[in-house]
Amino acid sequence: MLRILLVSILVMNLLAVNSSQAYQSNVNDSKNEDNSKPLRIAVASNFTPVLKVLLEDFTKQTGIKSQVISGASGAMFLQIKYGAPFDVFLSADSRRPKELEQAGYTLKSSRKTYATGQLAFYSSSLSSNANSLSQLSIEEILSIDQLRKPSARFAIANPDTAPYGKAAKEALTHLGLWQAYESRLVKGINIGQTFTKLRSKAVTRGIVANSQLVLNNLSGVIIPSSYHQAIEQQLVIIRRSKQQAAAEKLSHFLLSIESQNRIVSYGYAQTKQVNNANNANNANKKLSELTAK
Amino acid sequence: MMMSNAKLNKVPAGDCPQLDINIRVSYQQFELAINLPIPLKGITGIFGHSASGKSTLLRAIAGLEKTLIGDITLTSDGVADKALVSKTLVNSEQGYYLKPEARQIGLVFQNSRLFGHLSVLGNLEFSVKRCKNRQLDLNEVIELTELTTLLEHQVNQLSGGQQQRVALARAILAEPKLLLLDEPLSALDQHSKTQLLKMMLNIQKKLNLPMLYVSHSLDELQQVCDTLLVLAKGKVVNFGNIHQIIHQLNNFDDPTLIHQQTSLSLPIKQFNNGHGLAVLALNAEQDIYLTSDKAFENQTQLRCFILASDISIALTEPSNSSIVNHLFGTIKQISHRKNKVLLTINCGSQEFFVTISAFSQQKLSLNSRQQVYLQFKASAVRTFIH
Amino acid sequence: MINSDLQALVTTLEMAALTTLILLIIGTPLAWYLAKMTSRFKVIIEAVVALPLVLPPTVLGFYLLIAFSPEYLPGQLWQQTTGQQLAFSFSAIVIGSVLYSLPFVVQPLQKAFEQLGDSLLEAGALLGAGPIDRFFSIVLPLTKASFITAASLGFAHTVGEFGVILMIGGNIPGETRVLSIALFDHVEAFDYARAHLLAISLLIGSMVLLAAIYWLNLPKRNNNKNLNQVRSIK
Repeated sequence: MLRILLVSILVMNLLAVNSSQAYQSNVNDSKNEDNSKPLRIAVASNFTPVLKVLLEDFTKQTGIKSQVISGASGAMFLQIKYGAPFDVFLSADSRRPKELEQAGYTLKSSRKTYATGQLAFYSSSLSSNANSLSQLSIEEILSIDQLRKPSARFAIANPDTAPYGKAAKEALTHLGLWQAYESRLVKGINIGQTFTKLRSKAVTRGIVANSQLVLNNLSGVIIPSSYHQAIEQQLVIIRRSKQQAAAEKLSHFLLSIESQNRIVSYGYAQTKQVNNANNANNANKKLSELTAK
Repeated sequence: MMMSNAKLNKVPAGDCPQLDINIRVSYQQFELAINLPIPLKGITGIFGHSASGKSTLLRAIAGLEKTLIGDITLTSDGVADKALVSKTLVNSEQGYYLKPEARQIGLVFQNSRLFGHLSVLGNLEFSVKRCKNRQLDLNEVIELTELTTLLEHQVNQLSGGQQQRVALARAILAEPKLLLLDEPLSALDQHSKTQLLKMMLNIQKKLNLPMLYVSHSLDELQQVCDTLLVLAKGKVVNFGNIHQIIHQLNNFDDPTLIHQQTSLSLPIKQFNNGHGLAVLALNAEQDIYLTSDKAFENQTQLRCFILASDISIALTEPSNSSIVNHLFGTIKQISHRKNKVLLTINCGSQEFFVTISAFSQQKLSLNSRQQVYLQFKASAVRTFIH
Repeated sequence: MINSDLQALVTTLEMAALTTLILLIIGTPLAWYLAKMTSRFKVIIEAVVALPLVLPPTVLGFYLLIAFSPEYLPGQLWQQTTGQQLAFSFSAIVIGSVLYSLPFVVQPLQKAFEQLGDSLLEAGALLGAGPIDRFFSIVLPLTKASFITAASLGFAHTVGEFGVILMIGGNIPGETRVLSIALFDHVEAFDYARAHLLAISLLIGSMVLLAAIYWLNLPKRNNNKNLNQVRSIK
């Protein structure tokens, strides 16, 4: 047994050492050097890359070190209920934060919308002539697609469980195309899986999060936010957290104008100021245009 | 120490080692019920058909049979002062059950059950390492069992006979107070059988180790046992001196149990009469001739048997016959069995058993107390049925 | 591979090694008991041991999460005795892995013990060897190959485990974040380059591990082959 262990450790270490050093260590990931524990942030995987970028600035500004735990909102919601040692929870929806709030797991009035999801149509087969596509409205594109390829699989997230799926269904319904599209749908468990299906070209067209396209340098066609209810991604601070002050700082930081602008630049929609009093004065920049590229 | 948890009682001096068995073992289709003291002297044979309970009895003595009712006590030589001590092996009434590893009883199985991951020497050392109060010399046992050249071999490379020799040596090296042998020869060829039987006798005498030897082959038992225990359907049928018991079995109502025969143990008068025949002294007047064999050398006494069907009867002294053995005797008993007749004939003090057809008996009009001649060839005097 | 992945690797190896050790310690008597058991409850225990094979890992993980949380008895007892919360700790993923990989260790051992039978153990007992002596001097050497198989299967299965650990571990770096989860994170974050690197490392590492095990088992196999030849000549 020992021999086996040694062999495997050796091999894995070799691989680890030899592998490229191009990837530099991410401060946010590594364990804290000093005694205070890092701020543990549980984040819905669709927002993880954006959060990591933002955290670099956050750490520079505040000196607060953090640990990012990325996962599915549903699983993390359960884990928080059963005692997961998270300080802040950045959900992909507003339902779970609300439930946690109602069940008393969160710090009072800590629930805030930190980002608003934006839908985009993406087609791997049509992306080559993206320019011509952008001339058309989303109604025209989807109608033409349905006429031309009525049997081609079309990916959305599960409308019953995933907020992006629910919004996609609302948008298709709004366009009067839901019945036509319903039979061709392939439903991903969450928006991440839905995007993976498109990325791997297992499915050639579908509705995904615009942020996914932006992060992967892909272009699609934005679906106007007015076609569906807002996909509010909310955060809460966990009541059990021993780092509530740091968590509050993070919450403030994420809701600041600078951060919000950067979030929008990654393909999210402008967050409405209903929930965010401190954001009220900064709604006038039309950054959403940037996202279409 | 191993003995400390066993129940020991001093036994009056003068008694001999003994195994007291009073047990009942029940299975769905079978029950073994035995209540018998077995004096442990030399080699005691246990004979019976398959499913007669022979192996179950051995397993009960060894401690491998856990569901028995009753008790077994072993009286044997003590460790220090050589006085006899008796040890309770099992007593179900008191809930007492001595584990096999604490019984100091050895068992040689039909399939030698050697440890495949050890060499021959490794198998022997397995015993030696676990033996307390060692007295035997490993090399002496190796020589007795003729394993000197095989020590480094893997046990799976050995022939059946070699494997059983290792098993025998391994059992002896644990220095048991009693050695059980469960059909140890049944899978072997005739040559290996003879060799191992001689070895067993030799070891028994050298080490004064009592043995219980289970077999379904009467020739094997006849060669080495002093006393014989006969089992049938889980019950003791007979127990006593081997020759007497075999002769009693001639009249047993189950004719398939044995070949009817005369079982003899006679002094060797002449190893070779110059014509390849050995001469045994039956009594002061009469001799028995048989084909000489190298195996008889250095022996003073020979165990042999003559099948009842190999002897014929004549009313006058046969002359001009190639048959070398002619004995004069008196018919003691005539018993009929279908078309056959079993005659018991006294030649001096020795009983002989002869089967002839009912037809011949009528033709010769044989009667009790009639004097007749027995005749049989030298080759009819056997040590084994080949 | 960068630090966080290296950390995940260390956590994974620690978890798998500890899990394998615990599995051998508790799996051996359990397999022995099952191999020797004749009662009709045997099938029930066997079914319970095999349950992780059919149960979706996330289902097992969900119930373990509940059991390990401070609100329920097992989690409470743990917290009372150790002073630490069980859920989302390294101990939790080790316990979860032990349950999840149990059949992979118990089943090969049970098979081996059943095949070994009682005959050699009886022989050993009559030569004066007690039960523990018999286990180490007879059972262990004769079933060595099965122990190696059981340990390697348990280890490999634990390394590849995902659902249970994700659920009860909470993906906490340095504590419960293992390779399979790190890999999943990279995929989720569209960091395919890191994902590929990690996947290839895992693949090669596992292959080398398995090859090493088969290599360790090889000499014995050859011996048996020779023996069979000897027998067939005879």
